[in-house]
Amino acid sequence: MTSNTSTPDFSARQAWLAVLARASLSELESKLELANPWLPALQRVRPAEVGMLMLRGRVGGTGNPFNLGEASVVRCAVRLGDGPLGVAYALGRDKRRAELAAVFDALLQDPEHHDDLQSKLIEPLASTQLQARDRLQREVATSKVEFFTLVRGDA
Amino acid sequence: MNTTTTLAAGLPDAVHETQRAFRAVLDALARPGQIRSVGEPLPGVALGGAMARLLLTLCDEETPVWWQNDDPALQSWLRFHTSATLADSTARASFAVMTDIGHAPALEDFALGSAAAPEFSSTLLIELPALQGGPALEWRGPGIEVMQRVTLQGLPADFWTQWQANQASFPQGVDIIFTCAQHAIGLPRTTRVSRSEGV
Repeated sequence: MTSNTSTPDFSARQAWLAVLARASLSELESKLELANPWLPALQRVRPAEVGMLMLRGRVGGTGNPFNLGEASVVRCAVRLGDGPLGVAYALGRDKRRAELAAVFDALLQDPEHHDDLQSKLIEPLASTQLQARDRLQREVATSKVEFFTLVRGDA
Repeated sequence: MNTTTTLAAGLPDAVHETQRAFRAVLDALARPGQIRSVGEPLPGVALGGAMARLLLTLCDEETPVWWQNDDPALQSWLRFHTSATLADSTARASFAVMTDIGHAPALEDFALGSAAAPEFSSTLLIELPALQGGPALEWRGPGIEVMQRVTLQGLPADFWTQWQANQASFPQGVDIIFTCAQHAIGLPRTTRVSRSEGV
């Protein structure tokens, strides 16, 4: 492995990792044929494992952090042959999902496969996720209540 | 031995393999001087099988590890799999990995624990060229019925003088696990060591 900060750059990798982390198992399985030729060389550097993660929030958005609760997380690290290390973290307990995401991360770091996967896997997934998010935001927006508070006479 | 160039894998079956290694090291420390098999070497890790497996078994994010040999690949390997941090000095180390005991710091430089909390001492993992065939020594103490003859190889001349001081400071003091390839011998701080008569 060269280094973790090699091309493509750090923020681009963050972006595709975020997309992969949100992708469902069926979405990842349906794109598996893109990765099939390289799977025989799969080495599980850290086999998929389930753990807990503490979620933290802030009181009122700006206040002190507090522990909201724990969430199950699954993570995995793989290497395809001598290529770069692919990692994945995802909410839930689905090990297969983390493993597939890690495989795609490893391939996306390889300049040879990057563009192909970016256009066939990441971009469609990203737009689906964006649409879903938009839809949800629109649904929630209809229930928004405007509060008007008069200035209290504290002073 | 092969070198760790890329981030090597950990234990394929972590739960059961760490249990096995833990059992082996527990047994090694309970029966000082007796050789225990810890496990096969790990592919891609430039450490003996026992050393590598013990590190993966014993270390976690609360145990700073001090490395005698600064090999970034090994350090990042252990960090990745166990979250163990690097100890910046021997006195802060929970575990110390030593592969060249001839040029190692003195035993008293490591954490010896305090009288109130002797458990906060360092445990030294020392790789030796061989666990048998060296000068004969007699080990006595808890876990040894009468006397255990041990013939470790490759220890410097003043090592056992240092050990005497370490043993005398009980309940404080370091514990040692000697490893060679897949085998390990435990030397807890309670063990008294003397030269074999007639040797």
